[in-house]
This record gives sequence, structure tokens and C-alpha cells, in this order.
Amino acid sequence: MAKKLWHLILVVVPVLTLVGCRPAPPVARLMDVTMVIADVLPEDPSDGVWQHAPEFTTPLLPQDQVEPRQLEVSTREIRVRAVAAGDHVAFRLEWDDPTLDDQPGHEDFPDACAIQLPAIAEPTLPAPQMGESGQPVEITFWTAAWQATVDGRGTTLRDLYPGATIDHYPHEAAPLKSDPIAQREVQLRYSPAHALGNWMAGPRERSVEDLISEGPGTLGPGPSADSQGRGQHNGDGWSVVISRRLPAGWDSARGSQIAFAVWQGDRNEVGARKMRTGWINLVQEP
Amino acid sequence: MARVYNWQIGRDMSYWYPESRPEKQFAAVFDINKCIACQSCTLACKTTWTSGKGQEYQLWNNVESKPYGFYPLRWDLKLLDMLGEQQWDGDQYRGQTIFEAAEAGERVLGWRPEERDFAYPNVGEDDCAGTIETGADFQIPHLAWFFYLARICNHCTYPACLASCPRGSIYKRPEDGIVLVDQQRCRGYRECVKACPYKKVFHNPLVGTSEKCIACFPKGENGLQPQCFVNCIGKIRMAGSISRPEDAKPENPIDYLVHIRKVALPLFPQLGLEANVYYIPPIHAPTPFLYQMFGPGVAAAIKTYRSAVDDMDLAGLLTLFGSSERVMPRWKREGDWTIGLDEQDQEIVRVPLKEPVYLRGPFDEKYQVARTNCP
Ligand code: SF4
Ligand code: SF4
Repeated sequence: MAKKLWHLILVVVPVLTLVGCRPAPPVARLMDVTMVIADVLPEDPSDGVWQHAPEFTTPLLPQDQVEPRQLEVSTREIRVRAVAAGDHVAFRLEWDDPTLDDQPGHEDFPDACAIQLPAIAEPTLPAPQMGESGQPVEITFWTAAWQATVDGRGTTLRDLYPGATIDHYPHEAAPLKSDPIAQREVQLRYSPAHALGNWMAGPRERSVEDLISEGPGTLGPGPSADSQGRGQHNGDGWSVVISRRLPAGWDSARGSQIAFAVWQGDRNEVGARKMRTGWINLVQEP
Repeated sequence: MARVYNWQIGRDMSYWYPESRPEKQFAAVFDINKCIACQSCTLACKTTWTSGKGQEYQLWNNVESKPYGFYPLRWDLKLLDMLGEQQWDGDQYRGQTIFEAAEAGERVLGWRPEERDFAYPNVGEDDCAGTIETGADFQIPHLAWFFYLARICNHCTYPACLASCPRGSIYKRPEDGIVLVDQQRCRGYRECVKACPYKKVFHNPLVGTSEKCIACFPKGENGLQPQCFVNCIGKIRMAGSISRPEDAKPENPIDYLVHIRKVALPLFPQLGLEANVYYIPPIHAPTPFLYQMFGPGVAAAIKTYRSAVDDMDLAGLLTLFGSSERVMPRWKREGDWTIGLDEQDQEIVRVPLKEPVYLRGPFDEKYQVARTNCP
């Protein structure tokens, strides 16, 4: 379906053309996510550049299409700003969530969010619910747990459970200490996810993961792994920057589409149990 | 939901996927009456598979004392409570399985244990039912009871873990029916931890995926029984494969015990998973308790087991338990000997029905010494 893209539609319309030399940002409700152009992508949620990007607010819907379904509304809305530089774009996602959940424990689910774009920006759109066969979507997924690791939290049991006692791990046996290759081999023997290169297992250098999907349940590693993320919790909620390259086939005159999802860890939201949007127009400032 | 046939409840039931039975189904029989809760099995598994980071609390094999022992805490009681009172009608289960009782928006009726539920692997150990009055230990039979329940993953025909995973990260191997979590695909959603009624999938918080018993498949592929079986001091376990009831073969030891003699029963068949670890129920625990745990066949199973003393085939087959590391897909009895055979009917092991008895008096005439060291 050819989709006519709407440009900036404001109830009050203060139009910006260049970040950094313009007056205060618009405060009215937008209908599109509108990217403003900057020289450099902001990496930090508190970067002043965000003040120059219009804020788009959208309600979130429970994921009620596939089991397990989210039946209750948790996060009600998300606020989004977008800044592009060259062939990359950064989004700042903000939502209310007073509890900070960044532990990866047995019963703990981390707060998380994701952005989704069509793998190819073309008029025919994939299904908004994680794409469809033959029409993939690209997803960048951020979690508070990975952010905490990137910010310096250790990855041992005692970093999660300071009172834990561990007798011995086989890979730490004295004879292996002088042979890192043998030590690694023994470690991988007890950690097949590591051995198979599952991103969930780390090592973690970024707080985001690049994924591709062709429908619910098909999420897998994306073709590129260059997205970046940075999240901050301010006591009332999260402010998370996710940056990535613009989708293949991006045409600034035509724009594309974007969708968002948010998970609240304290409500045991994970995987399909999430709040999400449908497709939303993603446009570049005129 | 598809309609599938579950012979353990004697009827069709709803399941997330259509019926698709493997070429062979891994199965096992545990004789509860012989378990001494030494936890050799637990340690055998622990040292073989779960000594890595984040696996500290994982017990793919555990042994708990019933009625008060659990790992994790109240794993069975909690789900039975959620399911509510249900009925058997003879051999047919009239109640709801956990697939049929799933709440709106869910695939399976389940619950996720809290961390502290895994903190006491031995809670209830050796606690018996009821209180003991003074002098009760002089009464025979004892009025109080408990028994040891050794548990691994049941490699179910209709696994709840597999049904619950929205990513299809859990699969059942077509060649042997072993249920595995794909460690490349798992994203740690823990739907399987919530769904498995036996609580035999464990989340690894340091790795971010969920992990479970693999039925020691690298051993099975080489014709060997799993680690927790061959290290069992009480020789309570036998691994093999099970046929559908209508295809039962008397020469297959598992088929013989489960389908032909009906002396070994699945754990909580009413949950609807067609679990493939079968238990010879403890003969001294109250039947109503066992009925809830092993289904309507329990009284007959105990009767059959008690008759083994006069039943050379049944007693003979039970002597094969723990007699070889190799899987014995076939067996036969020849007089006072039971023989474990491979697929080609070649002998693997030969065990006497009766151990020879040697009487050794307290005094050795030949050496003129006392054989005991106490006067
Ligand atoms: S016992 Fe639990 S983990 Fe094992 S196959 Fe059955 S449902 Fe899955
Ligand atoms: S079968 Fe193997 S993996 Fe499973 S509990 Fe026993 S030793 Fe552990």
C-alpha cells in the first residue's frame, strides 16, 4: 500500500530548519516523528541538542495479537525526539516508570525499549507487529540490564548477589590458570550460549542489540551491529537514546515509518508481554 | 490449539502444536522404593553439566522428600492449587490439563518461582507426614511416612516448556524425543520456567538464557545411560525408550514395566504433558496421596510390585537396573538369569535373580582366627 507521508503537522507550528541556531522547541502534539538535522548525533539523553527537536508523544497499546498477550495497559505513552546526522539517526525515548529495574536475576526482568523500522524504506510496509515473511523489519533493542553492565557493573555472581558463596568453578582450577585457551575451553563447556555466540550471553560492549524480524517469534541477529544506546533513569522514568543508521532506501523526501515498544521490568514484562505502537510516520524536517 | 491424543489421561486434549511423535521417545523408570536420597545423582549431574557461572542454583536432577520436600519450594502444590479440584473417571481424566486451563492470553497455566524458592534444595528433607507420638517408633507398621522423589526433566511428549516459548527456542529431537533449549536462540524470556509444571527449566542470570536437563544426549547417542542413572548407588533407574501403548513390546524393558505390567506410572499425568519418566510408586505411602501424584493406576501398580517376589520376570527385570552403563533396549530371562541385550540381541550384561549366598561363621577354622573383631 502506497502510503502518503505527512510532513510536520502541528497545532502550533514553529518550524525549525537548523539545530543550534533556532528558538525554543515546539510544545504542541505532533502526528509524525520528525527528525531535525544536526552535525553530530547526540549520544547522551541530556544533550542540549534534544531541546531543538520537536517532541512527539504517542499512546502505547498492549501487545494483544499473539500469545502470550499483554492484557493490561502499563506504560501509557512514550515521548520521542529524533535527530539525524549524515546517514544516521538518533531517537530519544522517554516514558514514566518510577521503578528502576536493571537486574538480570532469576525473577528480575529489566526495563527495556525498542525501535523498529522497515529493513527497506519503501512504500509497501511490513506488518507493524514485528514484520512479516519476505518483508523484514529491523529492531534496535535496549535494556537497563545491559546499560548497567556497560556502565561498569561486573558480570560475576557476586555482582548480582553480594552475599553469594561459590566453592569453585572448574575453569578456575589451578592447573588451567597458566593456559588461557584451555581455561576458556572449559568455561565454554558449561556455557553453550557463549560457545554459540548468543548475544544474550555477552560480552557486553553496547547496551543495545541489532535485530531483524519477519513476524512474531522470528527475531534474530540483524545484519549490522552498529547501533548505539544510552539510557538514564531520573527517578520518575527513563530517558534512552538509541541511534542507528537510516534504513536502506531512505529517501528524505518520502520518509519512512517507525514503531516503538516499552517493557516495564517490575511488571514482569518481557518478550511478547510489552506495550507497543503501530507504524508512525518518520519524516525529516523540511 | 490442536487436538492431540494423550494416552496417560485416556483422551484427546488441546495442545499448542499438532501431535508429532519422535521416531523413538527417551524414557526412564525410577523405582522409588529403592531410593536412599544419597544425592549421588544430583552431584553426578551437577559436576557434569552445571558447574558454570550462573548455574550455581541449578539442579537438573534433584531428590526431595515427600510430602514436605520440594525443589523449588511447593512446585507441585502451587500448581495443583491453581488447577483446583479435578476428577478422574476410571482411567480417563475428566478434569482440565494445564493447556486447557490456560488463562486468557496465555498458552499454559503456570507460575514462575521466586528466587528464594530455589534457596532451600533440602527443605523438608526426611520430614515425615504427621507428628510422632512417644513410643510410635515401636509400632509396626510405622504410622508416619515419607519417601524420596528423584526428579529430572520428563522429556514430555507434550512439553509445556516447548508450547510456551513464543520464539520456538525449545525443540523436541525427532530421533529420541529429548527436549532441549536452543542456546543460540533463547532470549531468556522465562516463559518456559513459568510453564513447566515440574519446574525443570532454570534461568541462568549471568548468561541470559534458560537451561535444562539434556538427558545426557551425548551419552545416549553413544548407547550409554545418563550420568544420574549410572551413578545411582541405589540402582533405582533404568533408561531406554517407550512405545505408544498399542505398540508395546514385551522385550523392551520400559514398555514391559509401563505398558504391560503397568507397575511404573507417570508423575502428575493429569497435567497433560505425557511425561516420560515413570515411577514405581512407594509401597508404604497412603494411596490417596499417591493417587493424586501418579494417577488412578497406583493401587494396581503397588499390588503388582509387591507380587514381584513370586514373579520371576518382574523381579528379574528389576535386577537389571543399574547393572550396566549401556542402554539395554531389549531384555530376556533365562531361568535364574536376566539378560540385557542390545538391538541385535547381543548380550550386554547378565544378572542372577538371586545373589549367591556364602555363610561365613564367626570363627575361621583354617586360620584359627575369629572373623569378628568384637568379643
Ligand atoms: S519436564 Fe518441564 S522442562 Fe522437561 S520437557 Fe516437560 S515441560 Fe519441558
Ligand atoms: S539425565 Fe543427564 S542432564 Fe538430565 S538430570 Fe540426569 S545427569 Fe543431568
